Amino acid sequence: MRFKRTWLWVAVLTVGLSLFAFGCGGGDDDEGDDGGGGAAAEQVITVNWGTEPPSLDPGLASDTTSAAIIFNIMDPLITLDDELNAVENAAESWEVSEDGKTVTLTLRDDLEWTTGDPVTAEDYEWSWKRTVSPELGADYAYQFFGIVGAAEYNECDPAKGDCEALREEMGVEAVDERTLRITLTSAQPWFIQQLAHTSFIAVHRPTVEQFGENWTEPANIVTNGPFKLDTWEHNSRIDLVKWEDWRNADEVSLTRVNGRMITDGTTAVQAYEAGEIDVNLDVPPEEIARLKDTEDYQQYPYLGTYYYGLNVKNITDPLQRRAMAMAIDRRTIIDNITQADEVPATGFTPAGMPGFDSINPASEFLPESGDIEAAKELMSQVQNPKTEINLLLNDAPGHREIAVAVQANWQELGLKVNIRQQEWAQFLEAIGPPPGNDIDAFRLGWIADWPDAMNFLELWTSDSGNNSTNFANEEYDQLVEEARATPDEAERYELYAQMEAIMFGENAEMPLIPIYFYTATHLERPSIQETFNINPTSQIDLRPVEVRE
Amino acid sequence: MSGSLLAYVVRRLVWTIPVVLLVIFLTFVLMRQIEGNPFRTSERAVPESIQRNLERKYGLNDPWYVQYAMYTKGVLTFDLGPSLVLRQRTVNEIVKEHFPRSLELGGLAFLFAAVFGIPLGILAALRPNSWLDYGAMFFSNVGFAVPSFLIATLFIYYFVVQWDVGFPTSGWTNWESKVLPVVALGLAPAAYFARLVRGTMLETAQQDYIRTAQAKGLRRRRIVGLHVLRNSLIPVVTAAGPLLGYLITGSFVIEEIFAIPGIGRYYVTAVTARDYSVVMGLTVLLSVIVILANLVVDILYAVLDPRTREARA
Amino acid sequence: MVVQPGEVTRDVGGPGAYAGTAAGAPIRQTSLWRDAWYRYIRNRAAVLAGVVFLVVLAYCLVWPAVSPYDPYKVDFSQARQNPSLDHPLGTDRFGRDMLTRTALGGRVSIGIGFAATIVILVIGVAYGAISGFIGGILDNGMMRFLDALYGLPYLPFAIITLAIIGDINFWSMTVALAIASWFTTARIVRGQVITLKENDYIRATRAIGARWYRILLRHILPNTLGVLIIAVFLELPAVVLGEAFLSFIGLGISPPEASWGAMAQEGREVYRTSPHLIVIPSVAIAVLVLCANFVADGLRDALDPRTRET
Repeated sequence: MRFKRTWLWVAVLTVGLSLFAFGCGGGDDDEGDDGGGGAAAEQVITVNWGTEPPSLDPGLASDTTSAAIIFNIMDPLITLDDELNAVENAAESWEVSEDGKTVTLTLRDDLEWTTGDPVTAEDYEWSWKRTVSPELGADYAYQFFGIVGAAEYNECDPAKGDCEALREEMGVEAVDERTLRITLTSAQPWFIQQLAHTSFIAVHRPTVEQFGENWTEPANIVTNGPFKLDTWEHNSRIDLVKWEDWRNADEVSLTRVNGRMITDGTTAVQAYEAGEIDVNLDVPPEEIARLKDTEDYQQYPYLGTYYYGLNVKNITDPLQRRAMAMAIDRRTIIDNITQADEVPATGFTPAGMPGFDSINPASEFLPESGDIEAAKELMSQVQNPKTEINLLLNDAPGHREIAVAVQANWQELGLKVNIRQQEWAQFLEAIGPPPGNDIDAFRLGWIADWPDAMNFLELWTSDSGNNSTNFANEEYDQLVEEARATPDEAERYELYAQMEAIMFGENAEMPLIPIYFYTATHLERPSIQETFNINPTSQIDLRPVEVRE
Repeated sequence: MSGSLLAYVVRRLVWTIPVVLLVIFLTFVLMRQIEGNPFRTSERAVPESIQRNLERKYGLNDPWYVQYAMYTKGVLTFDLGPSLVLRQRTVNEIVKEHFPRSLELGGLAFLFAAVFGIPLGILAALRPNSWLDYGAMFFSNVGFAVPSFLIATLFIYYFVVQWDVGFPTSGWTNWESKVLPVVALGLAPAAYFARLVRGTMLETAQQDYIRTAQAKGLRRRRIVGLHVLRNSLIPVVTAAGPLLGYLITGSFVIEEIFAIPGIGRYYVTAVTARDYSVVMGLTVLLSVIVILANLVVDILYAVLDPRTREARA
Repeated sequence: MVVQPGEVTRDVGGPGAYAGTAAGAPIRQTSLWRDAWYRYIRNRAAVLAGVVFLVVLAYCLVWPAVSPYDPYKVDFSQARQNPSLDHPLGTDRFGRDMLTRTALGGRVSIGIGFAATIVILVIGVAYGAISGFIGGILDNGMMRFLDALYGLPYLPFAIITLAIIGDINFWSMTVALAIASWFTTARIVRGQVITLKENDYIRATRAIGARWYRILLRHILPNTLGVLIIAVFLELPAVVLGEAFLSFIGLGISPPEASWGAMAQEGREVYRTSPHLIVIPSVAIAVLVLCANFVADGLRDALDPRTRET
């Protein structure tokens, strides 16, 4: 029995010591690449895309990872520049009728698939109808619901109704090889920008018909963008190579873009530091403090708002909702938790949105560092305060930390906050709409689909499928309807400003508390930093990227 | 003798069938209890018509018994259905592509555990209470107690970031990329093997027949080689089956940290995303593998040790 | 077959594991326990491990009440300090004292550990005792079922269970960890029961017409107590590690509570700048697992002299 004691001691001591040694040996080694200079001989980069793209089919893709890759292997009709203006791409021009309801696109004459077939207006008509078709079951079919007849076609049950007829009636028509005419249900001033979404990209009909679901595998796929899909090892790597015969191939520098899928943030940063990847698309908040001052750290504005929704049926008094908003110290949350210089939100429409300056309500109830005294003052006027708040989160780590900070803020108002974590699917089910009766507050975010404030503000109409706050305001609903039919930008922004005022102005209804506007964080090698950029809808355009010496 | 062995094998095989059916049923029932919409993967609401189209496409609008019948039929014909979330992929494809990776990871880790752990245990047992013994047992206790995520983190930090000895941080391509995850996963079973072998050897050495052999003047090496070692390996064989199941699934964390495209990563994300068909498919698959592994081990065991056959008949 | 030192019963073992370990025959109670106690306290490694275990337990239970720091108070100006005199284990990202947080984390980890172990034992004992005692076709069916489930990876079922329950809290975690972990216990108990059932003393009790449940409750189960006590300490480390894994993949209980596993997961994200945040909870897990293993070894040696090592 004697030996046991000895080695128990040894065991305990050594574990302690070795871990202690590990603790003291914190590392600080950054690579000293120098940027600038001419083009490097080898134009190859490795990007960590994060997760496996669920689908490379433009009709089926509904997430940012898939979109990032699809954008670079396909040729969108329209792209968005850094200011979110629409830029001609595959469409060389567009024309909008007087009433705003008819849009006519003219395609370039040099568009080709990798097979050599020309890309025609008919490809677009067929692809869009395929996406809307009830058989495909595409998530983003609703992107097309602004087109006449699209929603009706999507609702058709092939077993019962005559879907073919509805298909014919959908308002998209190839007038000739290069002309595409779209009929909208109303004037939708943002429709041209919306065309930059992946859903509006065409697919190669013969390939899709031949291979069915497997058409996006590297052996089968036919594309029409600057890069071709070279290899796709699921959940591991996805490699693109330059398509030398692309219409503007001269302007593309990179010959190869290797893609990795490292989901674990810590591992991804280590892979970057070990030189295995050149771009990491998302820096874990906890690593930002350490990496912020390195030349590899890059930060971009991002059209999105992180917010706390309130169940107005449970927290009935707007005074209490305002008090809760005022108590939150956004500055501290940003500086200590999220760390990526996010912008403390002063309204729901995010900074960077066209017209932001005239839309933003600069709400007095959303002070940057919180105003606990004023909040307490408001709270004291509340007749029947709801003092126990059930706050629901999904279990992703970042939200937990913010909730703990908010919990501490609200505690000062005398509120007891119970944080409940659920995993994502369960969480979505719980918040509805309508939200469960036992839910008083929840966290959520919204990222722009297309760059118009409507994409944010229409969430809060009484019949919106995204409004989990029980907030219902007739005036607000009317303003949304009105704005939908207002092509003039200045007039529309004025209407948007009125909606924001209902929620956050002097008599704020405060059905939700905007916390901050997102930013995107990257690690990028200095040699590509100058040319590697994303726009505020997080689209990555690899065409201009160049590796410099 | 061989007749009773055959009967035993047949009996076990026959019992396997209802158990597999039961596992399919249980998994199906369990999955139906989970709330959540597999078609709402983001915060964006899914319009009703789109939800209906998707349910129709994946047969989720049928009554549950139709779904169950279809599913059971699918499993029995080795068709695990389409993934609900990775819209263009089937569960069969996912299994075919990713399962071999997990199998390789688990298999290599097992190999590492055996090659490293068993000799360590033997060495320790040959010199009980020596420094070698202390060292080996120190390793095996610590190896068992320290969580693998810490080990993996330490490995990446020291071997890749600090010392840069040529291993990459992640991936599953060349042999260099396999070293760290295999060792990180294999350490705990290696520790377990070392302890198991050492314990059994010391135990066996106390048995009367070994003492008799010693008394008869047989040489030590012969005693160790012939009697002690052989008898000590039996528990290792029996531990191997369940351990393999542990290694294949115990790699959830290791696969995530080292970004290995194995089945474990899919499993966790599939449950979270309510990808019913993937979760059911993988659960049934893993269960069947474990059931078969247990079967093989039990049969092996029955061959090695006839007493168990009677005890368990 | 002999259960080996430190064997984590859930993952490994073998068909032989239920062939009977300790307390082969009913022995006069008092001397059994007194002998066991003497044997245990002579095993100094086990005593030391036991003492450390109790110290950890006491620290987790008492310290949060005594500590000068509020474990829930968020103060970012104190965030992520390295160990110092004020904060012997430093502070976490919310500026909360790690010495206090670790004690709270221990309550969760050890609490779930014991709760799940007890659930495992209850299910396992019930299943094993019924199967072993009644025997016949029922036993055969129950055992074949168990053979199939044996070694089934428990993590998938734990994950599914958590998804079904939805809210992740102390009890859902306990259920999730226990749901696919009782197979080994059931086997061991069945083996015990079968051995005891054939014992002359039990046969005699039967012969005088005692009811089966009385025999089971009064005579058979008490004699499996030794095995069960060992099983607690064998099962505990596996459960604690299992909870740590679930927390690590993001399925931990809700804040502001946090188990050691959840703390380690949080700490891993910042291990380059604040290594103590992953090291402390990981060491805590390791120490607990080590101690439990040694205590289990010691208990086995004490309660089952036949396997005593030299």
